[in-house]
Amino acid sequence: MNFTLNSMILLSIIMLVSPLLYNMLMPHKTTYFPTYCKNMIMMAFMTSLPPMIIFMLYGQESVITNWHWFSITTFNISMSFKLDFFSIIFIPIALYDAWSILEFSLWYMHSDIFIHKFFKYLVSFLLTMIILVSANNLFQLFIGWEGVGIMSFLLIGWWYGRTDANTAALQAIIYNRIGDIGFMLTMAWLMLNSNSWELQNIFSTNMDFIALLGLIIAATGKSAQFGLHPWLPSAMEGPTPVSALLHSSTMVVAGIFLLIRFHPMMENNQMILTTILCLGAMTTLFTAICAITQNDIKKIVAFSTSSQLGLMMVTVGLNQPHLAFLHICTHAFFKAMLFLCSGSIIHSLNDEQDIRKMGGLFLILPITSSALMTGSLALVGTPFLAGFYSKDSIIEAINTSYTNSWALMMTLIATSLTAIYSLRIIYYALLGNPRFSSISPINENNPNLINPIMRLAMGSIFAGFLVTMSIPPMTSITMTMPDMIKLSALLITLAGLAIGMELNSFTNKLMNSMKHTTNFSNMLGYFTYFTHRIYPLMNLYSGQRIATMLIDMNWYEKTGPKGQTNIHSSMSSLLTSTQKGLIKVYFMSFLISITLALMFASMSTNNF
Amino acid sequence: MVLIHDYLIEQINLNIIIAFTIALIGVLTYRSHLISTLLCLEGIILSLFILIVLLISHSHIAFISITPLILLVFSACEAGVGLALLVTISYTYGNDYVQNLNLLQC
Repeated sequence: MNFTLNSMILLSIIMLVSPLLYNMLMPHKTTYFPTYCKNMIMMAFMTSLPPMIIFMLYGQESVITNWHWFSITTFNISMSFKLDFFSIIFIPIALYDAWSILEFSLWYMHSDIFIHKFFKYLVSFLLTMIILVSANNLFQLFIGWEGVGIMSFLLIGWWYGRTDANTAALQAIIYNRIGDIGFMLTMAWLMLNSNSWELQNIFSTNMDFIALLGLIIAATGKSAQFGLHPWLPSAMEGPTPVSALLHSSTMVVAGIFLLIRFHPMMENNQMILTTILCLGAMTTLFTAICAITQNDIKKIVAFSTSSQLGLMMVTVGLNQPHLAFLHICTHAFFKAMLFLCSGSIIHSLNDEQDIRKMGGLFLILPITSSALMTGSLALVGTPFLAGFYSKDSIIEAINTSYTNSWALMMTLIATSLTAIYSLRIIYYALLGNPRFSSISPINENNPNLINPIMRLAMGSIFAGFLVTMSIPPMTSITMTMPDMIKLSALLITLAGLAIGMELNSFTNKLMNSMKHTTNFSNMLGYFTYFTHRIYPLMNLYSGQRIATMLIDMNWYEKTGPKGQTNIHSSMSSLLTSTQKGLIKVYFMSFLISITLALMFASMSTNNF
Repeated sequence: MVLIHDYLIEQINLNIIIAFTIALIGVLTYRSHLISTLLCLEGIILSLFILIVLLISHSHIAFISITPLILLVFSACEAGVGLALLVTISYTYGNDYVQNLNLLQC
């Protein structure tokens, strides 16, 4: 039994390395390479299913420590994989998503001549993500962390001829780097205070506030929480498969995953939990507000991702890490499917991303539109679809726990806003009359398009039920609550739907009465306009002031040559106004004073 | 044996001090030319120099032997400054009469 679980997981990871080796050793054979990558990922997914089933049946977890890497005096680092509850369940789900998305990119990136490089990047991203998720020590986790950041940079800037894409890639790197500072703070603290980076040793340390704060900063950077969030909507400059894989299912949940890994340390520290809770509530509300007036279909889905990440953060702050993990798993399915459907719509309309120029696609793209509606229903938490099991449990948990009521209010409002922006996508893209030019042929004939969407749709419908019924319960849930509390998520969502229909009809009737709020929401709360100007401006100003004002002016004009000139001339003009010439008189008085003084001195000493 | 005090050194000191005083009166009282002040200033310095050398050689204090040389160095600088002022005055007025320096008189 030990052999099966360990060897199959390691085999699954090795299967991810083989496409990269293939491309390194035989770089000229590129025609069959994308399909080869997709097949290898499918095999890796199949290989990683038995370990998950073994875990669900027998509850077996394992830690594999392979290779002693290096040691610095008493500090040892080795390559070790931790296959516990979180990583065993996450790896098959990530591979399932990646399989579907790779098959989709066979259709989406078909006309790109560098399609083999694209697949190479996606596979290496997946490899680093799996390293991150299964790492047992912080060094390996950091390798995965940095790896997903670098691959995100390369993939967002895939169409590097476009200035916006380069700016967005740079933005992603810089914001992730700021988060990495927090991660390194935690690593340094742990190196000093507990002399080990292995998770088992860390679990028996008492972590200080500052070390946990470093983890929160890392999560803020990687998972786009409020404060370090602008990179996620800008990251939509990359191709749709990149948005589907990185920025919805796998990379952005790395920050939340880190917090979930460290949950034993945060259980007893109420201050940290409150910080996480308030940060998550702020994020989820702010990004949901930004999502309801966006005009780009991918940006709406990106803000939806950001809002769900805030919800996961709120759950971690409620001391319910397993619920957050469940939401990560179910969210991966329907969010990736939403991105794939929007990719299908975009490609069919000849790369049109603005929802104001779409419409009436309901009958033209039947599979895409039904998948879009299923995904949106799963996102808002329709009973017994995938999202219901995680989202409704989270709302119930936050309603029945002793927590900050402001955070509760924010989360509930964000839940109703979720319904509003989901309805916005459906209303503008699928319903009504077509607003696009009728030149491009719209069809869904390619199986590479249909099969991934159907697979993820199956996942969105059944995954919630399957995962919830198979995992062992880790916390005790409140089973009894008043009727209103139990139905609160559903009622709020229905209220959001009603308001959403009302808001959507405003465009038809050209009501301009809400100008200020619309601008605030559309321009992302003016956050980027403030911060991206202010910090470089302050740095440049202080640099100029130090060089010119401080050094030049002070040394040359206040203390140096000119300063001396000013001092001396002012002093002499002060003094010369008291003098009048008359040198002989002055000298005579000097002589007489000396004589008199000498006489008095000699007379007083009686030695005359 | 009885030590007989030799008063010669005190007479020499008195002599040089009288020279100093005469040069001082010469600095402070002059009629028309500015250069007489500068000449008597040199006299003051010369008498001070002789006094210090006599002190060193009579009391056998060898470690301050450098003092007269330092005095000479500074006196040379001072004389240079004085002469520069003299040259400036005679450049402006053509002569070095003291009654020319009356710009600030009200």
